[in-house]
Amino acid sequence: MTNHWIDLQHSDVVLIQGSNAAENHPISFKWVMKALQKGGKLIHVDPRFTRTSSKAHVYAPIRSGTDIAFIGGMIKYIIENKKYFEDYVLNYTNAGFIVGEKYSFKDGLFSGYDPKTRRYDKSTWVLEKDEKGIPKQDKTLKHPRCVLNVMYEHYKRYDLDTVSSITGTPKDKLLEVYELYSSTGVKDKAGTVMYALGQTQSTIGVQKIRSLCILQLLLGNIGICGGGVNALRGEPNVQGSTDHAILYHYLPGYLPVPRSNRQTVEQYMDAATPKTSDPRSANWWGNTPKYVVSLLKSWFGDAAKPENGFGYSWLPKCDVHQNCDVLHMIDDMYKGKIKGYFCIGQNPCGSLPNSNKVRAAMTKLEWMVHVNIFDNESASFWKGPGLDPKKVKTECFLLPATANIEKDGSQATSGRWMQWLHKAIPNPGDCLSTGAIVTMLMHKLQAMYKKDGGAMPDGILNMRMDYLTADGKEFDALKVAKRINGEFERDTTIGDKSYKKGQQVPGFGLLQVDGSTSSGNWLCCGSFTADGQNLMDRRGKEDPTGLGLYPNWSFAWPVNRRIVYNRASVDQNGNPYNPARPLLQWKDGKWVGDVADGPWPPMGQEGGKLPYIMKPDGVASFFGPGPGDGPFPEHYEPLEGPLKQNLLSKQHNSPIITIFKSDMDKIATADPKYPLVLTTYSATEHWCSGGITRWQSWLNEAMPQVYIEISEELAQERGYKNGEWVTIKSARGQLDAVAMVTPRIRPFTIDGKTVHLVGMTFNYGWLYPKNAGDTCNILTTFVGDGNAGTPEYKACMVNIAKKA
Amino acid sequence: MSDGKSILVDTSRCTGCRGCQVACKQWNGLAAEQTTQRGTYQNPPDFSHQTYKLVRFAEGKREGSREPYWYFFSDMCRHCVNPPCMVASENNEIVQDEETGAVIYTEATKNIDFEMARGSCPYNVPRQNPETKVVSKCTMCFDRIKSGMKPACVLACPTALDFGEREDILKLAEERVAELKKVYPKAKAIDAEDVRVIFIVTDDPKKYHEFAEA
Amino acid sequence: MKRRTFLKMSCCLGAGLALSGLGLDLGAVKAYAADMKKADALKTAAQSTTICCYCSVGCGLICSVDKASGKIFNIEGDPEHPINEGALCAKGAGLYQVSVANEHRLTKVQYRKPGSDKWEQVSWDFALNRIAELIKKERDKSFITKNEKGEVVNRVQTLSLMGSSNVLSEECWATTQFARGLGYTYIDHQARV
Repeated sequence: MTNHWIDLQHSDVVLIQGSNAAENHPISFKWVMKALQKGGKLIHVDPRFTRTSSKAHVYAPIRSGTDIAFIGGMIKYIIENKKYFEDYVLNYTNAGFIVGEKYSFKDGLFSGYDPKTRRYDKSTWVLEKDEKGIPKQDKTLKHPRCVLNVMYEHYKRYDLDTVSSITGTPKDKLLEVYELYSSTGVKDKAGTVMYALGQTQSTIGVQKIRSLCILQLLLGNIGICGGGVNALRGEPNVQGSTDHAILYHYLPGYLPVPRSNRQTVEQYMDAATPKTSDPRSANWWGNTPKYVVSLLKSWFGDAAKPENGFGYSWLPKCDVHQNCDVLHMIDDMYKGKIKGYFCIGQNPCGSLPNSNKVRAAMTKLEWMVHVNIFDNESASFWKGPGLDPKKVKTECFLLPATANIEKDGSQATSGRWMQWLHKAIPNPGDCLSTGAIVTMLMHKLQAMYKKDGGAMPDGILNMRMDYLTADGKEFDALKVAKRINGEFERDTTIGDKSYKKGQQVPGFGLLQVDGSTSSGNWLCCGSFTADGQNLMDRRGKEDPTGLGLYPNWSFAWPVNRRIVYNRASVDQNGNPYNPARPLLQWKDGKWVGDVADGPWPPMGQEGGKLPYIMKPDGVASFFGPGPGDGPFPEHYEPLEGPLKQNLLSKQHNSPIITIFKSDMDKIATADPKYPLVLTTYSATEHWCSGGITRWQSWLNEAMPQVYIEISEELAQERGYKNGEWVTIKSARGQLDAVAMVTPRIRPFTIDGKTVHLVGMTFNYGWLYPKNAGDTCNILTTFVGDGNAGTPEYKACMVNIAKKA
Repeated sequence: MSDGKSILVDTSRCTGCRGCQVACKQWNGLAAEQTTQRGTYQNPPDFSHQTYKLVRFAEGKREGSREPYWYFFSDMCRHCVNPPCMVASENNEIVQDEETGAVIYTEATKNIDFEMARGSCPYNVPRQNPETKVVSKCTMCFDRIKSGMKPACVLACPTALDFGEREDILKLAEERVAELKKVYPKAKAIDAEDVRVIFIVTDDPKKYHEFAEA
Repeated sequence: MKRRTFLKMSCCLGAGLALSGLGLDLGAVKAYAADMKKADALKTAAQSTTICCYCSVGCGLICSVDKASGKIFNIEGDPEHPINEGALCAKGAGLYQVSVANEHRLTKVQYRKPGSDKWEQVSWDFALNRIAELIKKERDKSFITKNEKGEVVNRVQTLSLMGSSNVLSEECWATTQFARGLGYTYIDHQARV
């Protein structure tokens, strides 16, 4: 989230699209309802009428996976009707920048596509620069190649008829949403976007979110109170686990993963550090080298020295285009290439797509270590449906972990608040925390490599994991938290201040490139004070702005900033665009309000900096070379869908997605055998694959068994009765579920034809309770977003039959 | 003398998250029932001696339209000002707490005429344990109230439930209804003068639940 | 007779007993007093704050532990927490069932031999030694020092790790460190799915 949960109360219009917030983030509605009580309006765009829709002023049904068409139409509407917030767009975005002459878009493809590698050469996706290297700009927005005009040209095709034909949203609903939401494109109105997996779980997920960013930038809704692009993250600490990079493609603090073409730390840092020639751009990522060296120092301690590149060579390097995401991992596992697998607090056999493939992949493993608080379908995969345990040769471990109420440590909310948890009771039985388990294992391996040697032992032997408590029995979260914050690695003087070795670094502004500081994650630097105060554990309820920022409650990264890009909430002179919600104000030579995005004066003053400090140009990008599938979001159909032909171009699916080709990856697009669109989700009463909640009687009582939501129209057409068991089939598998016949699901008209949509949760599994049914992921497709690899859970094709 | 306590259940604000339903089980240590999926989100199907708080889910289509509605009715004992169920109480098996106004079923209800208790309740609330014969229902969490805490369901509710002095809650209900009436002409506070747990609805009470209104 | 009529008539039926407080000595209200026990126990309990383990709203909860028995007996919303102000959804409100009060919680280290049809209880020593041995064996066998281009890559591709966004940040960071130290490239978790 750019903003935070409590801030939702300040919205004039809340657009929930690709999220069922009332069901999956129920307490967010405490703040959404507050906004509505103040006269705010709620729009819900979703394939189903849910508990969220029940509270909406406008509910617009949409076929799963077609959000770019929906939002593209709104972008067109806003530009055409000049509903954008001009001052913001001109000064804080690249709307007036000039797109290079060689850029083009034709037949659904941007310039530079190579069908053989299924990748784009992005060299034509550039902006023209002057002789000083500063982007050229036409603030009159008259230049035909200025970003705003090129963007309008791109979305001109997204007219109401076409959008309605793709999305199935009636035209009057589209217009109603466009009109209401674009009413926030003025300086004293705020619109917020709440999105979740409904956007990301798609082959075009990243671009869907980019389209929401474009929308919010046009309306001047980013950086302000009650605005923002707010990802409602689905797991308790997924913000923390993402910040700390349990992901192959980057290192903690969003530093890129080392790849084989960067052989030295200098090459790596040079490539990872963006440059700018514009003195008005803060270009915060220009500090990358300090963060890289501090991370390496944090991991390798004294062994990390300038002369060995701070241990950079010990880190694993992926090949240049190598993809090690979860789908590639499971595909390689299915092919027998992966021998040993560590699975912590997760249930891939229920939560990953095409469960039959995932379950088959597990049987190819030589060994699996599973760490969890309850057993699940993955830990016990070897006794799953259709398997003879005798034939499964995998050696398995199921390690009992402590739950959150049994641990100290921090957890980051979606709003980036790092909150400290306190251990309530001793570890039950033999339970250990995950932190203790990985630390103890590392100690064992270090001893073994020290004694016997082995392949490249340096990374192991030098890895500083001195994290056990004094008695050696548990994980010392406090010590690790200090390490993550960062410490001075030697006595150091910066300016007129001296710091002792071992003292915490007060903030990331003080991190050094020479190895005198360490920081496990620069973003968290400042969460521990130099005198050892744990700011994550704060419970101060002061609210000096009256806006509910609660600066003394926990710690928000970065630097306790509660709303990021907050310098975009003020005009050129530092006065809030909306004086009624003054997030930030330049007064008497300093910023008052939230922790400002940097200390520099506002734009209009000498030394002023542009507000988008993480972007090399200092402004937000409508046109940008970031994603691999285009500088603008473009609609493509889900890999498996009801249409033979994309109604917007000849390019049917995303051109850059990996198409997996194993014998278990069958796809049935526009196949009369599978005429129903399936969308999948979770219910309030269970959580994800149900790995934790299905062991709880109160929750099972409320949502006991697998169900499929179908429209009254489809039920009538096929003769299904509410409450009867049916069988659902896709090209990949089948399962039974109880039919829930409801007016909340409705047929869509797509390309002039009726298309039925059905919906299921992935909350169930064969292991427990015995009669609850299995996961809907037996049906879903094994394909991911072209940029992020997030599986396309939200759309595939199925059919239903009465249970035999 | 104080007018006791009241709870406001504003269904126009309820999101059906069922925090109240589970919080009630948690605080009161009530066991779960063995349920099945019957084609609805509502489960357990009804009150029981193990279920004092139940979110009822009601859905349909708006009049003359394909637009659906989905109503959530966080049902519980209304703690009537003058509880009709006390007709079944001959020897203080059912008592009314003076301080809060909570209507409390004691263990001695195993001796009462259950059908009379249930039949006299306009909201069809009391339920009997088939084994012990004890009759039970929501206690208004009078134990929590006396310790200075909110009832468990009210504490858990993110949006719809309020708790306080009866006169304050009545005033709040009146304000809310006035506001809602601007958009929903049928908005009202059900049986507000007779009950301590006051439900605000925006449509015909029958659409929420058969026994929503007396 | 309509039920509605009952409601209006009830005043004539006698209003039962008005209790003036807990001090009232009546056999029939024994249960009433018993019901107060949990509320009273909260007053002497060891209380600590935690954060919910489901979605990422970050709701605060209070755990209450009986000092004498050491048992946790209540978990409810933290009214002082600025995000949830005590509120919880169905899952959060039921957090108590994640505690060891739930008979299904794993509390023993379990091991399943290749081809076996059951879990067996083993010691931490056995499990950690065996896992370390398996990691080392596979890592030493399959470690890639240089890729096809001759570039130093120092990685192992036959081992993989997933998880977890269900553990605390400090544990996540240690997990990252563990995997990168060993040379893993197949590292992923729920954030992507």
